[in-house]
Amino acid sequence: MGSDLISILTQAGQSLGAHRGAAATASQNIANVNTPGYSRQIANLAANTPTDFVGNTFIGSGVQLQSVTQARDAFLERQMQSAFSSSGFSSTESAALTSVSALDPDDANGLTAALGTFYTSLRGVAQNPSDTGLRQAAVSAAQSLAQTFNRTSTALEQARDGVDANMAGIVADVNQSASAMAALNVQIQQSRVTGAEPNDLLDQRQQLQDKLATLTGATPVLDAQGDVAMALPGGADLVGALRAGQLSLAPDPNNGGHLTVNLTRADGTGPVPLTSAQLGGNLGGALSARDGGLLTAKNGIDQMAFDFANTINAVHSAGFAADGTTGHQMFTVSATASGAASSLTVDSALVANPALLAAASAAGASGDNKNMLALVNTESTALSTGADVSGTFQDLVTSFGAKSALSKAISDQDSGMVDHLTQLRESTSGVNLDEEMVNLTKAQRAFEAVSKVITTADSMLDTLIGLKS
Amino acid sequence: MRVSDKMFYDLATKNALDARDRVLTASQEAATGKRVTSPGDDPSAAGLIVRDRTQLIRLDAINQGAGRANDELSMADSNLQQLSNVVTRARELAEQLSNDSYSAAERGNAVAEVNTLFNQALSLMNVDFNGRYIFGGTKDNQPPFDASGNYQGDTNVRQIEVAPGVLEDSSVRADVAVKGVGGGADLFATLNSLSTALGANDGSGIRAAFASLDSVNQQVGNALAKVGASMDAFDAAQSIAASTKLTTTKTLSGEQDADVFEATSNLALANHALDATLTASAASFQMSLVDKL
Repeated sequence: MGSDLISILTQAGQSLGAHRGAAATASQNIANVNTPGYSRQIANLAANTPTDFVGNTFIGSGVQLQSVTQARDAFLERQMQSAFSSSGFSSTESAALTSVSALDPDDANGLTAALGTFYTSLRGVAQNPSDTGLRQAAVSAAQSLAQTFNRTSTALEQARDGVDANMAGIVADVNQSASAMAALNVQIQQSRVTGAEPNDLLDQRQQLQDKLATLTGATPVLDAQGDVAMALPGGADLVGALRAGQLSLAPDPNNGGHLTVNLTRADGTGPVPLTSAQLGGNLGGALSARDGGLLTAKNGIDQMAFDFANTINAVHSAGFAADGTTGHQMFTVSATASGAASSLTVDSALVANPALLAAASAAGASGDNKNMLALVNTESTALSTGADVSGTFQDLVTSFGAKSALSKAISDQDSGMVDHLTQLRESTSGVNLDEEMVNLTKAQRAFEAVSKVITTADSMLDTLIGLKS
Repeated sequence: MRVSDKMFYDLATKNALDARDRVLTASQEAATGKRVTSPGDDPSAAGLIVRDRTQLIRLDAINQGAGRANDELSMADSNLQQLSNVVTRARELAEQLSNDSYSAAERGNAVAEVNTLFNQALSLMNVDFNGRYIFGGTKDNQPPFDASGNYQGDTNVRQIEVAPGVLEDSSVRADVAVKGVGGGADLFATLNSLSTALGANDGSGIRAAFASLDSVNQQVGNALAKVGASMDAFDAAQSIAASTKLTTTKTLSGEQDADVFEATSNLALANHALDATLTASAASFQMSLVDKL
């Protein structure tokens, strides 16, 4: 079969389509320059297989748009999942820990100041136990100290409640994203039946993967059909291939009614409770802050309040009040350390009558301050921690501060890592407008040239037809 | 490296946020002068701040207690000095009137002065400081001596802290100083018997008062010495507290305060960095092929 002008027209028409496709791809890239998660698309042009054999050679038969692929780096994306997971974990933990101000060392209304005022007032009474004003001041200082214990403990507990509220939001987000991801898996499977890659759906799924990794620390598991499941740390399926699991929250009576996370699996079984080891990302970080640093600090304050109140009571009840009676308690404290700080109060009889402050070591002498001196001495009595009351608080502040500083440092480091990997991914997958303008211009020029081919072939045909007339 | 447009904008956002964060931190430090406000800022310094603040409050309390004790002791000192004068005057009277050349009438006239001295001594010993009877030991809510000069206080000496765990006397035993408990003379009994002897024109009775009054004067002198020693101890406690406070305040400042010059220059630096970041970002946005085609 010989080459003819009609076939030039035909293949030129086809080539116009290919260049239009290239221009459309550039325009799609330009349009999505700011779309989060968008991976730049590449129009792959390929020369048609020549079929025209003229003389002893093949004549080419134009160009076609073979495929539109995405510029993506699977290696990088895999690394990003784990970076998202750790960054989600550390940022949530750090935010929860740094938001607590109850343990600020310089707080004018904090425990340091309240303990100081308490002992100052006891020293005042020790100097002159018969002064009713000084006794009143000591009882007020004891009340203020008890309230400061209450407030410090409550503030830590409120921070833990705040984490619960935060978790509720995260879980809602997880469930929505997991369902969306399962739905996308279905759509992607259907689209692939045509043999083409549904690029924009893949972008969306990648974004959901990133989001779920950030929220829960889940990692993607690719199956043979190209579906992506999401497995929580420890292997529980959050998203099965085509179905999503659901997280739910339930109060845990063994943890003061704080929320525990349950998973209803993708296959509908469950719900089963998830341990903190089975959760990463924001959820894992929230749990780590709530049941780690914050709980330790709260328990520490409880233990400190319990030890302190019992130490004071032991000395106080051995002394004698101004009216010669003995055996009075200064603080009303719970039977166990649990919740001691939040329930600590000053004995109501003492509040009503500061004369009951047991300053004396024996009945009868109004100026006897021996027991008050013994109470002042409790300032350096070792509590169950091995340190005195101020030393115990010092240790609490230091260890809480160390946790908070560490998680902040890790969080900064993790977010730096995410930034770095995001830049690398952007470098591969991001849209560069200059490049796209060049691509667009390139496609436009090719389109114009091919159009010229059509007019040329047309005029050649005219010439051919004109030969007969 | 291939650079996408989004990288420019992401980088600009991140840099601007980071720079603003540094400006905020620097301006906070410069404005408050504090380097550590929450435990996470510097965990070990935060713990030390707790320790030092506790120490400062304790020093203040000890300083205050020592001050009050000193006030009481200086009252005791002044009254004991006056008591010593009373005793000396009684000794003079006894000395003078012991001479048998004085008539019964002349000796009788002196009875009134001795009785006045008795009452003076009583009121000096029954003094109260802000409602507290300072010469009754720990029984400080009632006058230590009744109208006849009987001691109603107890034998305790009040003590308060001069340093954590270290106690110092803040009162003296009036029963020892005035009543001669433990082998001495009783001032009030001596004045009473002197008064009686003068009234009865009893020369040997008057002379009998010499030794007792000398002994009382010695006792009061001993008490004054004790008061002086205690006052010295409280003065020392106050000055030690003051100097320790100075050192502790300095340590505390080192732990928690920002270096003012450093903080201010950090602020200036952070502002410059922010300015540079914004300028560079703005410049990087302007170049695009879109404008040239």
